[in-house]
Amino acid sequence: MRMEPGSTVSSAGAGSIHSRLSRAFRGSLVWYGFLAPPLFLIMVFVAYPTAIAFRDSVFTETPRGAEFVGLYHFGRLFSSGVFWGALGNTVLLGAAFLAITLPLATILATMLNRLRRGATPLKVIYFLPQLTSSVAVAIMFNYVFQPDWGLLNGTLRALGVEQLPLWLSDPRLSLGGSRAAVTLLAVWAGLGYFILIILAGLQSISGDLYDAAAIDGASPVQAWWHVTLPGLRPTFLFLLITGSIDALSRFGDLWTLGGPGGAPARSLQSVVMFMFQTGFESNDYALAAATAVVFFVIVLVITLIAFRGFLRNEFKALR
Amino acid sequence: MSSMAETEKVKAGTTAIRRRRLPADWRAQVSIAVVLVTGALIMVIPFFWMIATSLSRKANSAMPRVPSLWPPDPSFFNYFVAAANLPIFTLYLNSLFIVGTTTIGYLLFSSIAGYAFAKGRFPGKTFLFIVFLATLFIPFETRMIPLYLFIRDMHLNNTYWALILPFLAGGFGTFLMRQTISTIPDELIDAARLDGASELRIFWSIVLPLCKPTLATLAIINVIWRWNDVLWPLLVTSSRDLYTVTQGLALAGKSSGVYVGVALATAVMAILPVIGAYLILQRYVIRSVVSSGVKG
Repeated sequence: MRMEPGSTVSSAGAGSIHSRLSRAFRGSLVWYGFLAPPLFLIMVFVAYPTAIAFRDSVFTETPRGAEFVGLYHFGRLFSSGVFWGALGNTVLLGAAFLAITLPLATILATMLNRLRRGATPLKVIYFLPQLTSSVAVAIMFNYVFQPDWGLLNGTLRALGVEQLPLWLSDPRLSLGGSRAAVTLLAVWAGLGYFILIILAGLQSISGDLYDAAAIDGASPVQAWWHVTLPGLRPTFLFLLITGSIDALSRFGDLWTLGGPGGAPARSLQSVVMFMFQTGFESNDYALAAATAVVFFVIVLVITLIAFRGFLRNEFKALR
Repeated sequence: MSSMAETEKVKAGTTAIRRRRLPADWRAQVSIAVVLVTGALIMVIPFFWMIATSLSRKANSAMPRVPSLWPPDPSFFNYFVAAANLPIFTLYLNSLFIVGTTTIGYLLFSSIAGYAFAKGRFPGKTFLFIVFLATLFIPFETRMIPLYLFIRDMHLNNTYWALILPFLAGGFGTFLMRQTISTIPDELIDAARLDGASELRIFWSIVLPLCKPTLATLAIINVIWRWNDVLWPLLVTSSRDLYTVTQGLALAGKSSGVYVGVALATAVMAILPVIGAYLILQRYVIRSVVSSGVKG
């Protein structure tokens, strides 16, 4: 938008409205030019495939072309025991992960926050597994959980434990089975991120509140219970939401350990693995698309709950 | 002699000071440290065990019943076998190229769109912003299969394009950049406009340099995302020449499963450089994760 002294003079003439409009348009043009490339990429690689996923979930490919079948594929999906098994696994593994990681990370973060020296290297170490790809972690833990000589059972035996769990070879729902093993893996890998976020939350709690608690004669444990935990509420909510979405999309480590079928006995199959297997092994794209839509709806509901306040602020800022 | 005596005296003085300054709650500090160091050991011991096992040739035939953090027969044999099985150097070049191009593109497109949404005035801004924001709500897994079919129909599978094009633009980056650019005062930009600078020039020489910390955050997060992604590369590339490191590891880890030493040597080769980069950049990585709330 160049300000030229001549233009103001000419705009006093007959074409004034026209030239002002065209100048305004030229002013907008540059912004459209900035937005065009990313918008094009988003349309082609995000919006279009999403629309196709929705379309494919209500059509069936026949030799005479695509035929609208309504909710037929959703009916197939909801009557599939394998789908419910995968969804149940995903929810169970996610809930177990959060139930262990959130309290554990809160305790460790509180300790790190109180430590006067050496907190930084400890933070770096706790976050290390998160940086390692889930595939590498899975390969490592495949051997850590090996029943005869694995790191875990070998150590347990050296400590005198006699009844050693079978871990990844045991598909039953037990504390020494495959689901318990992958939960331990997830806690080990995800703990550092939770600690970092909770630490940031702890540091945002005002020191005045602790002073007030101390004046009221609260012990450190009481202060932790009545000041720290309520102060961490938003942090917990954030971690619960992002943790649930991550748990729903779990794929890499379980796929490396159990293949798309989630061996042993489908005990490790997640929803995304079910989608992968339906789409790329059974070539049942319609059923995979229906799964994709259900997955989308579940994640959307969680996200909307989480981002209610956030979205409201965003749109306020925009206007 | 006298100087030595003096240093001794100084030393004694500092220990005395240190002793005097010992915190009142040192018992609590020590017990906290013990718990935290135990936890840290649990985090790193699997890594050390993996490295020790990868350095033992015997690990392929018989593992010791009691786990050891020192290889009984140290040798690089497993690494030679792993390198012969998997062109690890090519995989590294592939990963670096793909992560590099997607990150540069992602930063560029995110910041230019973020600039338009933060400082631009044009009809349809709110609507277009909603379009960008909506992509935040579409999980990749939802569009994965149609995207794969589309890439295949365009004959882009088994090319670098398949691994780059879908990840160049996104709502998260645009959103983060818009937030940062909004904090730049309008006066600064208006002054540049009055000086006759074009919007592109303002963007490049004024806005971008002011966004360096956010750009670094976004770059780190994107590198972690792209480097560790395995689902998409598994779908669109089946030629070994195009494998990424993570993908190669996923496929090799499966095929060499019974040769424990070789499988772990492959894993070590795949993660050691990443861990090295992390230890060098740890301050920035941790700051990025905390400031954005995204773990990469």
